[in-house]
Amino acid sequence: MQKTARKPGYDLGTLWKIFGAVLFAYLFLGFMVIPCFNTLTSVFTAKDSAGNSDPLAVIRFFLAGTMPGFVWNSLKLALCLVVTVNVVGISIVLLTEYFDIKGAKILRMGYMTTLIYSGVALVTGYQFLYDSNGMLTTWLSGLFPDMNKQWFSGFSAVLFTMTFACTSNHALFLRNAIRGIDYNTVEAARNMGARPFKVLLRVVMPTLLPTLFSLTVMTFITGLCAMSAPTLLGYNSINPEIVRLAGSSTADEAFPQARAALLSVILAMFTIVLLTILNHYERKGHYLSVSKTKAKLVKQKIQNPVANVLAHIYAYVLFLIYMTPVVMIILFSFQNYPAIRSKTLNIGEWSIINYFGRQDYEYMTSRGKLKTRTGSISGVFSNADTIGGIRLSFILSAVAAALACLIVVVAVNYIFKNRSKKRGAAVEACLLFPWLLPTILICYSYRIYFNQEIWYVFGNNLYWRENVRFLIIIAYTVVKLPFALRMIKAAFYAIDDELEDAARNLGASPLVTFLRVKLPIVLPSVLAVFALNFNALFTEYDMGATFQSSYGKTYAMIIQNMTLEEGREGYNVNASGRRCASTVFIMLVSGIILYLVYGVGARDLGERLERRKKWKQRFARLRGKKAA
Amino acid sequence: MIQLKDIVVKFGDFEALHNINVHVNEGEFFTFLGPSGCGKTTTLRTITGFIEPVSGSVSMRGQDITHTPIEKRNIGIVFQSYALFPTMTVKDNIAFGLKIKKMKKPEIEEKVRAIARKVELADEKLEKAVSQLSGGQQQRVAIARALVTEPAIICMDEPLSNLDAKLRVQLRNELKRMQRDFGITTIYVTHDQEEALTLSDRIAVFNKGYIEQIGTPNEVYNHSATEFVANFIGDINRLDAEIVRGLKLKETEHHFIRLERLRVNQDKGDGALLLPGVIESQEYYGLYIKYYINAGGQTLKVIEKNDGINIYQPGEQVTLGIHPDDVMSYPA
Repeated sequence: MQKTARKPGYDLGTLWKIFGAVLFAYLFLGFMVIPCFNTLTSVFTAKDSAGNSDPLAVIRFFLAGTMPGFVWNSLKLALCLVVTVNVVGISIVLLTEYFDIKGAKILRMGYMTTLIYSGVALVTGYQFLYDSNGMLTTWLSGLFPDMNKQWFSGFSAVLFTMTFACTSNHALFLRNAIRGIDYNTVEAARNMGARPFKVLLRVVMPTLLPTLFSLTVMTFITGLCAMSAPTLLGYNSINPEIVRLAGSSTADEAFPQARAALLSVILAMFTIVLLTILNHYERKGHYLSVSKTKAKLVKQKIQNPVANVLAHIYAYVLFLIYMTPVVMIILFSFQNYPAIRSKTLNIGEWSIINYFGRQDYEYMTSRGKLKTRTGSISGVFSNADTIGGIRLSFILSAVAAALACLIVVVAVNYIFKNRSKKRGAAVEACLLFPWLLPTILICYSYRIYFNQEIWYVFGNNLYWRENVRFLIIIAYTVVKLPFALRMIKAAFYAIDDELEDAARNLGASPLVTFLRVKLPIVLPSVLAVFALNFNALFTEYDMGATFQSSYGKTYAMIIQNMTLEEGREGYNVNASGRRCASTVFIMLVSGIILYLVYGVGARDLGERLERRKKWKQRFARLRGKKAA
Repeated sequence: MIQLKDIVVKFGDFEALHNINVHVNEGEFFTFLGPSGCGKTTTLRTITGFIEPVSGSVSMRGQDITHTPIEKRNIGIVFQSYALFPTMTVKDNIAFGLKIKKMKKPEIEEKVRAIARKVELADEKLEKAVSQLSGGQQQRVAIARALVTEPAIICMDEPLSNLDAKLRVQLRNELKRMQRDFGITTIYVTHDQEEALTLSDRIAVFNKGYIEQIGTPNEVYNHSATEFVANFIGDINRLDAEIVRGLKLKETEHHFIRLERLRVNQDKGDGALLLPGVIESQEYYGLYIKYYINAGGQTLKVIEKNDGINIYQPGEQVTLGIHPDDVMSYPA
């Protein structure tokens, strides 16, 4: 309604609005602005040994020491990743969607494994194959005895791992972009005499440029903020250094916290600049097909036989790189610990001990005494630490994902009601605020700022013991708000304004309209956002590592730590096997979630009713057969 | 039944409606007709309560409802997009308003089935999702949903605009039948003059936030009150100076004549001005043929019934008859 009569005094609605505004301001200031501002100011409030304030001390120290090296390393990684990820990402999309490559469906499945197999699980999977006693390294060193067994570490290892880990976005978004191309434009170019390669270069690629630009910026930011790969593969970039400094004390080195803060701020500055560029570019608009009768893209056969063979070889080499770790992890998760330790498949003997059950372990001490360690061999679902990690990650991720959805749904409803007003834009800007800041800055700020009694959280220290779990939930929620906002806002655009008018005309109050008309429409998207956020958080490593608390050991942290004490004095004998089983479990969970989101969640009411009807008919037929 | 008195609606500084006065009678099919942005939907939304006027009043059966909340006006609406709730079945859509009124389940069931029968929706359709229905069936659901709460009047905002031409004509007739069967006062918004002429008891022609004319279809077509109405409703020829002089009409006014009032090769001896002309081109419509004839120093459009015999070819010489009584004149 464009204009309503104003009622005098404060009614219940006005009180709710005031309460909502105060709560929103409390959350935004208390959990976004103040902690991050504290980090920023800590850079300039350092004190020298005499206790005098020296605003530039940290910056001087930073420039004089080895710190710029971390920034340069991160930049180098980000720049190289932009090239390698785009090369591989564009390749996999063109090979499966544009060119006629035999077995494209299987290739696509292989290339998309990173959707269910990423983060710490992927890095440890690669380590399983490529590190000093990895399967491939052992095999290669048999062929080339002089080769450097430590080849899979440092920059090249991080670059290799992240190149293949970061193509998920290409597999999703670039694929959609290429599928959106109107084939008539390709035919028109061919008709005017353009050769296939020229068509690809001059007609197809320009339409993909906006998507590619977004993907490039996101890849650059991912490279800059890389955490799990550099940590596990030993590369000195910004994020692992921030985590190290955050855990250090002034007794060991100068200004550790202030330096960590400065690194976070540098990271934030890069992110803000890149996202501003991206935002500016996105506002310029995208290439849209002007065709009213768009033709579906037909795969292009590579005419040159040599090029065709080379393209096939390239496609299947990439497939092997993607699939080998996944297949090996699955196979080895069903092997006993001796087979896993020796990285040799024992085809004759399979076991589910890495998943379920416990076994005792007998070992010989250095004094030659035979000892038994009870229950030292255990499966993912019978190992107390692993179960604890799964349980904790499950609860933290579920609560945070639900909170993010709840906040965003309420906020987006408000934003849409006030879309032409400044207050609507202000709420949206506040929710997008965490997008500008690297995750590490937010988590680091929380860790430092809330590691004291804070009045506005009722005088609690949120980093103290079990409280850290609340802090992790808040961090998880805050970090996921921008993604949730973008997705759920897009869903709200699908609601026809007339639906709201219709509901009101039929007598529904704004709350009933929201609950019974608008929410059911956006619910599939909200559930999808919940599932995707849950999926990402369940195996999240970076934030868990930043908080570094024994009360907040998430599942990914457990997976990483599992192998550190493998076999020591008979403890955790099958840690590597359990890690493989964990990875398979994660893939299973992610696979189910993606199926629910993109498979089940994408169906509308009509499709659901149709399927229900078919199932009923099937049951009826079955019953009929049984009765007969 | 419904009366709008001196209604003024503003959006910021922009005045969308200027002193609108309309009286819709009980049981009448009343149409707001006009081009896009003329204020017809704004007027409808003022009646339904989605827009509150800056000044003026809306009254229904003598009772002022200007400030009555939307849900308490007892007005049914059929939206342009139908606004059917996509997450509900057909039955739930129709029952929505009844559930809000907290009616008992058996009563809701009975009312839903009764209204579905009246709008000719088969029982098996009730359990379907609205996305599983055709455009025509969706429109029936929208009408059933609007009527089931037994509103005093029903407002329809271009409900046929989303349909293809053939279905539009078919549903137009059904709408009229339903309106007659239910005997409900109907306010209908459209920009389609043919729709307005075939459906309405009376039409209000809107232009730039004003009402140019209110009248029966015959009045607005044959006795258009203003030059805008004459031009907007149907096709028309504007007569140039040479013909105006020949007809001895006032040269200070603008003169128009409908296409079907011009006569080709027909001298009835009734004082019509006869002009020699040449067929420039023809458009074949099946039922009739439209000719472009150069006569009296201008090109005039003429419609002739297609009898299959008297079909003129481009370049053919003809005589064009114009009777002064058929000319509509407006101040310049």
